[in-house]
Amino acid sequence: MKTRKKDINLRELFRQKLEYAEVIPDAAVKSNLMRRVARKEFLRFNPARLNIYYIGGILITGITAAVILFSGARNSDIINPLNNQDKLNKTDTSSYIEVRAVQPIRTKPGISNVIHNELIRSTKVSPLPVKSESEVSKVVESHQRVTSFPTSLRNSFSKNGLFNEAMPDKKKLQTGFEPEAFLIEPHDSAGCAPLKIRFHNKSTSFDSCRWTFGDGGYSDQRDPEWIFDVEGEYKVVLEVINHAGKDIISTASVTVHPRPQAHFEIALEKTGTPNDEIRFLNYSTNAVRFKWDFGDGSASEIFEPSHIYTKFGNYNVRLVALSDWGCSDSVTVFNALSGSQYFINFPNAFIPNAQGPSGGYYSLKSDEAAQVFHPSYSGVSDYQLKIFSKLGIQIFESNDINLGWDGYNYGQLCEPGVYIWKVRVKFRNGEPFIKMGDVTLLKK
Amino acid sequence: MMSDRQIIELCAKHDRKAQQVLYDKYSHLLLGVCLRYASDKAEAEDILQDCFLKIFYNIKDFTGSGSFIGWLRKVAVNTAITHYHKNLKYRYHIEIEEYVSIETGVTSFEEDFFTSDELYKVLNELPTGYRTVFNLYAVEGYKHKEIAEMLGIDTNTSKSQYSRAKAVIRGKLEKLGKLKSSYSENS
Repeated sequence: MKTRKKDINLRELFRQKLEYAEVIPDAAVKSNLMRRVARKEFLRFNPARLNIYYIGGILITGITAAVILFSGARNSDIINPLNNQDKLNKTDTSSYIEVRAVQPIRTKPGISNVIHNELIRSTKVSPLPVKSESEVSKVVESHQRVTSFPTSLRNSFSKNGLFNEAMPDKKKLQTGFEPEAFLIEPHDSAGCAPLKIRFHNKSTSFDSCRWTFGDGGYSDQRDPEWIFDVEGEYKVVLEVINHAGKDIISTASVTVHPRPQAHFEIALEKTGTPNDEIRFLNYSTNAVRFKWDFGDGSASEIFEPSHIYTKFGNYNVRLVALSDWGCSDSVTVFNALSGSQYFINFPNAFIPNAQGPSGGYYSLKSDEAAQVFHPSYSGVSDYQLKIFSKLGIQIFESNDINLGWDGYNYGQLCEPGVYIWKVRVKFRNGEPFIKMGDVTLLKK
Repeated sequence: MMSDRQIIELCAKHDRKAQQVLYDKYSHLLLGVCLRYASDKAEAEDILQDCFLKIFYNIKDFTGSGSFIGWLRKVAVNTAITHYHKNLKYRYHIEIEEYVSIETGVTSFEEDFFTSDELYKVLNELPTGYRTVFNLYAVEGYKHKEIAEMLGIDTNTSKSQYSRAKAVIRGKLEKLGKLKSSYSENS
């Protein structure tokens, strides 16, 4: 009764004195606050006031305008590279022909009727040493394979002499595109991550080349090998610079499918005795089809099958997970029915958080610093943990396996030293288990 | 002079003037709240700033159903709790022995014997955990269960911290009381 009265007195005292007490803040607090408000206001979108969004918008507009102007200037460079073109014709015939040979693929029939006078003149004058017909058509042939151009169309091109004359060039100059060639072999590939591909640069003569693989990687080798670790669609770009200093850009696409991951657990209510139905829980990802091998000669293709073993024995259960694209992964659990999946183990030391009690709830991720004394376990159903001091006084008890000891007793950090623990467990197969041991509480 | 309603409406539109009026009108009261949760005035003023930022940017959430002062106080208390969480890891616990064995024979305190400045000082000297729990329970009138949820601690921790806080406060007040009465006898 007495303490109750004291308590109320103390509470009343503080409540009456302090509940509506007023304290005058420093003048600096107000100016400081208003500065912070102004800063926050600046970062907040508000159409009525100058803020970061307006400034950002102005910057972006400015940069875009600059980029457009700049690229416009570059485009005009590309459209009139006639001098360059002459040089190219003399010096680097092989890659030039290759460029030409591919060009018809980009040309739509019909457009080629529009002919630019100047260009025709320039190409007629150019002393183009054309390769023999067979060589040219070989180049054409190889592109044919990649792009599966209809043969009839190709023949018509050949008849018109498109490959030997400057029609494609005209097309290129009209549209302002860089010449593009299919120089990458393989041109179109797909597979499961991690996907290893060796690329071949098919251009016959060049100064240097640069590969960019679309996943941030690049290479300067002629025929690089690249591994795509992450699923996705990638555009591989090959930039070839030939003797004339001319860029030829070529692209290829790579599709990397996700690799499935096989993972399962065995739902054992009891130890595996004959005629018990055992359920298999499937946690596989990225997979659509499954193949189970129960180790006793039977198999299943169900997502989560149940199986009855007729005899005692050691069975190795294997699961193969397959994805839509034929990628697969497998996992095998050896001796799946033995009791080895029931265990509970305790560490022999831990370091409590010196800054205050953590409450004792832990997760394997959050407790990397070993601040909570808790077991690693599997298949535990009932659980009781008691901690005693050296004098035999119980200082902690937990009936929840997720609640470990944080090293505090009534909010106070316990002395560093040795403590005794005792655990009573019932495993899921009904087996009781008692274990005792000691743990050292360490100081940080 | 603007009414509360006008202030709220203008503050919701981020009117700089209204924010200043709001500050001038309520900062004294709210610093009174913040000071109870802080270990000194500078910290209390930090909390007060955060508290006003929260008020300015969330004032549109004030529905107008309860009292405005009550809402402001609640924001201040919540800010103080956020502050408590933020600073928890940087603050070392004070040796507990200092506080454990405090015996006290005083059963009641006269209301006007201590000034509020003195009470503030007593609170400021408490360890952060004690101070927060004591304030929430004794002054704000929350239940232990609610306090445990707010602070992320166990209900029992809240209770034990409160009772220890009481013991410490009682000890301090007693000491202070003796000091004061000896002064008044001497003079």
